[in-house]
Amino acid sequence: MKWLPISILTFLVGFFCWSCNLEKEIEIDLPDYDPKAVVECYLQPGKPFQLLLTRSASYFAPFDTNTSDLLQNLLVNGAKVSVSHAGNRYDLNNQLVIDQEAQKLYNYFNEELVPQNYTDDFELYIELLDGSTITGTTQLLPVVSFDSIVVEFQEGDTLARALTYFTDIPNENNYYRRMLHHNSLDSLPMQDFTLDDRVVEDAVVFGTGYEFKAGDTIYNTLFHIDRTYFDFLESVNNAVLSNGNPFGQPSPINSKLEGTARSVGIFTGLSYTREMTIVDEP
Amino acid sequence: MLKTFTLFFSALFFFLFSLSAQETYTVSGTVRDGESGETLIGATVSVPARDVGTITNEYGFYSFTVAGGDSLSIIYSYVGFQSHTRKILLDRNISLDVELGSGVQLDEVVVKANSFEEQLNSTEMSVEVITTKEARLIPVLLGESDILKTIQLKPGIPSGSEGTTGLFVRGGGSDQNLIVLDEAVVYNANHLFGFFSTFNTDAVKDLKIYKGGFPAQYGGRLSSVIDVKLKEGNNKKLAGSGGIGLIASRLTVEGPIQKEKSSFIVSGRRTYVDLLTRGVNRANEGNEDYDPIPNYYFYDLNTKINFQFGEKDRLFLSGYFGRDVFGFDGDFFDFNFDWGNATGTARWNHVFNPKLFANTTFTYSDYQYNITNRLTGFNFEVGSNIRDANFKSDFYWALNNQHTFRFGANLTRHQFSVGRLQAGTDDGLINFSAGQEFAALEGGLYFSDDWSVSDRLKINYGLRLSGFNNENQTYAGLEPRFSSRYILTERLSLKASYARMYQYLHLVASSGITLPTDIWYPSTQQVKPQRSDQVAAGFSYLLGSRYFLTIEGYYKDQQNVLEFVDGAQLFANDDLEQEFAIGKGRGYGLELSIEKKEGALTGWIGYTLAFVERGEFNLLDDSKRFAQQGYFSPVFDRRHDLSVVAMYELNRRLSFTATFVYGSGDLRWLPTGRFSFGDVSGSDFEPVVPDYEERNNYRLPPYHRLDLGAVWRFFPTWGESDLTFSVINAYDRRNTFFIYLEPEFSEVETNGNTLSFPEKIAAKQVSLFPILPSITWNFKF
Repeated sequence: MKWLPISILTFLVGFFCWSCNLEKEIEIDLPDYDPKAVVECYLQPGKPFQLLLTRSASYFAPFDTNTSDLLQNLLVNGAKVSVSHAGNRYDLNNQLVIDQEAQKLYNYFNEELVPQNYTDDFELYIELLDGSTITGTTQLLPVVSFDSIVVEFQEGDTLARALTYFTDIPNENNYYRRMLHHNSLDSLPMQDFTLDDRVVEDAVVFGTGYEFKAGDTIYNTLFHIDRTYFDFLESVNNAVLSNGNPFGQPSPINSKLEGTARSVGIFTGLSYTREMTIVDEP
Repeated sequence: MLKTFTLFFSALFFFLFSLSAQETYTVSGTVRDGESGETLIGATVSVPARDVGTITNEYGFYSFTVAGGDSLSIIYSYVGFQSHTRKILLDRNISLDVELGSGVQLDEVVVKANSFEEQLNSTEMSVEVITTKEARLIPVLLGESDILKTIQLKPGIPSGSEGTTGLFVRGGGSDQNLIVLDEAVVYNANHLFGFFSTFNTDAVKDLKIYKGGFPAQYGGRLSSVIDVKLKEGNNKKLAGSGGIGLIASRLTVEGPIQKEKSSFIVSGRRTYVDLLTRGVNRANEGNEDYDPIPNYYFYDLNTKINFQFGEKDRLFLSGYFGRDVFGFDGDFFDFNFDWGNATGTARWNHVFNPKLFANTTFTYSDYQYNITNRLTGFNFEVGSNIRDANFKSDFYWALNNQHTFRFGANLTRHQFSVGRLQAGTDDGLINFSAGQEFAALEGGLYFSDDWSVSDRLKINYGLRLSGFNNENQTYAGLEPRFSSRYILTERLSLKASYARMYQYLHLVASSGITLPTDIWYPSTQQVKPQRSDQVAAGFSYLLGSRYFLTIEGYYKDQQNVLEFVDGAQLFANDDLEQEFAIGKGRGYGLELSIEKKEGALTGWIGYTLAFVERGEFNLLDDSKRFAQQGYFSPVFDRRHDLSVVAMYELNRRLSFTATFVYGSGDLRWLPTGRFSFGDVSGSDFEPVVPDYEERNNYRLPPYHRLDLGAVWRFFPTWGESDLTFSVINAYDRRNTFFIYLEPEFSEVETNGNTLSFPEKIAAKQVSLFPILPSITWNFKF
């Protein structure tokens, strides 16, 4: 529960400092930084192979405001990218594609569909222009479905809450990511958290506050994720949170990518279930 | 190991008893303040004609042995008091209790030179003492005096962030300080996140800190021992003192229960900013645009009574209770957060004979925090606590003028409740809990001898056997202690010490500041006890009769120190120790101090050059990660630390103080790179994910500050009062309290949607204190 006292302290100190004008912008001279290749590749059964390969930058490097400069400086092109699986190799071409459903940009693509194979490994191989390599391994995990989604109103009120139930796969260590979107999947999720099943019982329930009214649409998504993706997401969240928080614990990115190149990122299978619920009249 | 230890003790005692058959007489007793009856710790008792001397122990008791027959003059002296000479005919053992008068007309030259002489002659090294008088004069935050923060002005004790009470002694962590209040352990000595300490200066007699050369009676922490003694209460007349400041008021009442036989003291203080904020909140009730201000206050209460039963027995009962309370409620929530310590001490002093004094103590200590929040239909409670029950017995045996022994034992039962969490909905549909419970035993057995080998050489050697049991896992450790002084000339003494310490409890603290939610965690099968070995050497030099110079160098090696794995999950974790990495540490440095206690102008200059490193961390859970390779400097690796403290007494009514501190900036772990992260959906796009590489890679700007104070005293018929003025940060230096990095975005309208693009990342420095004047009215009757 570190965030509670930290939040209180930040509030008190912030209020005091703001009132006394004790904050100022400063120049910071950080150690030199050697950029890394940044990999994002989510394998979804029945969808094409897609991968985004970008590069990181020095922390205070200027941001590009021009779109073409932005893409030029951000995207890493010219790499050889392939995914091997069950004796097959899928080469991903260096081409810009937009995933309309996810509203995402990728720069390596193979239109063949990811096979629905939950037993064999998928192996990523990337060779950058300078000959350095990035490798990664993952597996698809079975989809875990919701048991039920219950919407219930507070007595005598017009606002409802949503209770989402699912059953954890017993006798093994599982990790989940659960997102809840309100009215649109294009919006920022109302809830987005990762879960290690060691802290819950087999029957898991997520709740919300009483904040939905009749006619609202609730999108519940449950990702069954592996430890690598869980660690990566946690570390990204921690790094982002500690960035603006002077008392937070800094967190290096936990990436399991290997190879000779300096790299960071995620190569993982994506198994999820999604349900849409429209809130009825009370 | 225990058998060896017992044999060693037996042989030693046999040898020592054989030494004691000589024709001598013993003079023993207690030295007290003549005005209040308080015992005086460290008062000098000497017989110049026989070149014999000693000092009173922490209970005011003294004992020395000389050959009888002649009339002897015994001189008693103590800083700030008139020295007192008693002539006796020594034809038998004599019990002699002495009271010293206050030092208004004192012969200061004699008294203060004696004080330095004692420091010069003592085998103790790496020790600093702050008296309540010094603490009252030196201004700290908002006019509140604070003895724990004043000690940070001594060399080798750098503090944590600005204004906080965290101590990082000789490269040790903030968890490696044993803080005892009347012999009961205080686990969190902070109010308001460390801006104030739990010690009310009005109730404290004195504070002593050991940075090294630890006496064998102390154990359980690696880096320092902070021994705080509460006053006993005036046993001659009813008296009181108090003060009204900008943020807090305090009141102390003390007096005899039975004159010169028993006394009491009750002391309390409370902040009152919450009274103002509650009023403002009430005045704005119903105002929809108004955001309520959270309520915060702290209070503490010290009490002590003591009874003298005959000439040989004395009983003390003391207690402390303090709480910080934070509350914030709104239409949909009710948030409460409180934390604090409670300690209790029952102590029995018994004089077996003029040479043997015993102190038997039972202490209870409790530290806990509780957080509760009630939301609509949902509530949660989080808390942790540690409870100790401790029994200890200490013996002080002044065998002869060559050997003064101390021996004793202690046993502590710890009860831990770590990360207790209970959360759920009112209807019970959602319900989850987490937490760990431990019960552990910790014990110690020790022996030491302060041995005057010759006129020039004195050594203090000792051995402590410590042990710890938790969950069927038992640890034991032998802790040799040694310190010595060699008088080279009457003005110069050389000193050296070695101490091994074991620490069986670990503080789980993830941020650079002291938080009430930091968790104490016991050693377990996987989490080994921390261990340190420290060597120190130096010299003390009396410059004229007014200045005292001390230079010490030290090297400290630490094993099994704790850090957290990258991205440690400390909340709602039933297996917290997976998040630990165990490694090594080392610290070395040089400390210099020049002190002046005589004359109108007194004070000291302290300087520390220090280096600290940690490294070679191993994971307890191989699936976790600790990316840092090799040794790195912890955030508190402060290279230079300088403090200058001056107190000038212009006359009886007016005195001034000035304090200047300078320190190299602390280290911070900042990201050196960044990348953008698309996530599974474009709506979750994170444009700036910081990439943290080497730990603690940025040094903050140097810290420096000047504080000024003045005390204007009045002497009304009913007693004494003063107005204490202080100006903190007199030249308005904007020191760094923290820095944070903030991406700034520009918004662009595209096809009716508003898109945000990062423009730049700004580094912001936040300072805590501007120039802060304050005034406090203090009184005494």
